[in-house]
Amino acid sequence: MNYRFRLIRIFTFLGGIYFFLQYVLPAKLGPFTFGKYHEEISNGFILMGAMAVGLGLINLLMVHGSRLVFRRTGWVNSAALLLAMALMIVITAADWLRTQKIAAQAAGLDMLAQFSRRISSDYQSQRTDVLPFWERNRLLLEAGSSQLAVVYESLEAAANLAGRSTDPALKTRLSAGLQETAAHLKETESLLKELELESSTASSMSPNEDLARALGRLQVSWRELLGLQYASSITRKVYDFLYQGLFMSLGAAMFALLGFYIASAAYRAFRLRSAESGLMMAAALVVMLGQIPLGVWIWYGFPELRLWLLQIPSTAASRAIEMGAAIAGLVMAFRMWLSIEPESFR
Amino acid sequence: MTGLEHATLGVLLLIGLIIGPVLVYIERARRDRNLYVRRLPGVDAIDEAAGRSAEIGKPLVFTSGLTSIGPILYACLGVLFYVARKAARYKLRLLAPQCDPTVMAVIEETVRDAYRSEGRLAFFDPQSIRFLSDEQFAFAAGYMGLVQREQIAAAFLFGSFAAESLLLAEAGQQVGAMQVAATTSPEQVAFFICSCDYTLIGEELFGASAYLSREPVQLGSLYGQDRAKLVFMVLIVIGVLIATWNQSLAPYFWGPGAGLIPDVMYWLHYELWAT
Repeated sequence: MNYRFRLIRIFTFLGGIYFFLQYVLPAKLGPFTFGKYHEEISNGFILMGAMAVGLGLINLLMVHGSRLVFRRTGWVNSAALLLAMALMIVITAADWLRTQKIAAQAAGLDMLAQFSRRISSDYQSQRTDVLPFWERNRLLLEAGSSQLAVVYESLEAAANLAGRSTDPALKTRLSAGLQETAAHLKETESLLKELELESSTASSMSPNEDLARALGRLQVSWRELLGLQYASSITRKVYDFLYQGLFMSLGAAMFALLGFYIASAAYRAFRLRSAESGLMMAAALVVMLGQIPLGVWIWYGFPELRLWLLQIPSTAASRAIEMGAAIAGLVMAFRMWLSIEPESFR
Repeated sequence: MTGLEHATLGVLLLIGLIIGPVLVYIERARRDRNLYVRRLPGVDAIDEAAGRSAEIGKPLVFTSGLTSIGPILYACLGVLFYVARKAARYKLRLLAPQCDPTVMAVIEETVRDAYRSEGRLAFFDPQSIRFLSDEQFAFAAGYMGLVQREQIAAAFLFGSFAAESLLLAEAGQQVGAMQVAATTSPEQVAFFICSCDYTLIGEELFGASAYLSREPVQLGSLYGQDRAKLVFMVLIVIGVLIATWNQSLAPYFWGPGAGLIPDVMYWLHYELWAT
């Protein structure tokens, strides 16, 4: 037995026993905690899956790249595929970067809110290993002022966009977003000014609590506004066109083809060639008649008969198939786990 | 069984009842390789399809559909190995379009092994294992295009399929390819029966590999799981009888023993199964 196979065998066995015990045993059993590194292990699998996506990409590049380079039959299709792939990668990356940037910008306000809340809680729990609350409030004021300046700038940009926009729906949404964000901004500014900045022995800390809540509200409305601004950018429009406009529509078109294929497949299946196909046709006829009003008009018992056919013989057969497959799958999984495999797979 | 969260005594007992016969029969198959396996017309048709492909000089296609890494894929690999060996022996082109990159790596290795085992590794073309897309309908569109362009002679559709099953099978039907399909999904079986020449239903997919290779491990597993199924059938019959007794007949009986079956059922359900 070579080392490669031995290594695979060991990893398979350990992986199998880990997932089995992780499912069977409680989270904590004596000194052992089985689920302790479950997230890390699951992340490892995700990582492997991500690496496998790279395999797919390499395969596509090799198959279609060589066809393009050597001008083999269908090279134009390959060129279109590679071009579309490259375009989609670039646009998706740009979209991802932009949404990340929006999230990061909004997260700045969230951090300030958390800081404000922390100043209050630390004061109430009388922590002594941190700066006094008034000094921390000064820092909060400094950071908050610079963050609000960024919000102001983006409000100006949004107002310009609303002025330029020819899309009435977008214009309305931008104006509403602007109004809401401006109101929250004003509220936050006034609360920042109310922070206690002088040394004091007693404080209610209510301005900090109020500021934290106001920053939270500002964060939500500003994020929505940034999203609206981004929605009208060229990147987003190209992304929407490629993904929603082309990809999703083409997928739906493929799905719609099923309707025609079902008709042609049904025609072939219902040609009376044997007793079995006759039986199948009779059953299908009853099911169809039970489904439509015409069937009830012919005989009122069709819907009930249809239901019986679907619920009793059909369900029984379906369960038998599923059960057989489940047992066979379990046995196969067991063989995989213990690496009891035929020579051909070693 | 204190401390166990999901496994109950009943579940462990059932696993034992499934695995036990398998191990016994694997051992028996190692001693006697001539265990009888009934003929599956769909599996016999694999040779016919390969022969047809050699005659008309057009490629074969093997797809595992939406199958991900797991027991179903493993069952398909046995058949793929056989088909790939045939392709290597008769110098046929074997195309294997893929929708899952991890599966693609496994499929490529299996086909390579098959060519190696026939001593024809030089004929193996890695580009015949093609990744199309991991999106269901994009994969289906890619497969349909491939089948139309290559005018394939035969197609093998083994594994897990969903709504795209009919699209794939009809594409083969349109170019007049001989098609053998196998799936464990009852919903897709009907589509395959309508569009393919042969269809393996449910666990036949798992049996196909054993039938083709006659490897002791696979034969023994097949025998063992059949015995395990027998145990389940007996359990189902007992369950039906008990339920029928409790619901329909027990109210008409009095005296000693009338409450025995409900007691047994209670014990089975609450003490054994849910302990």
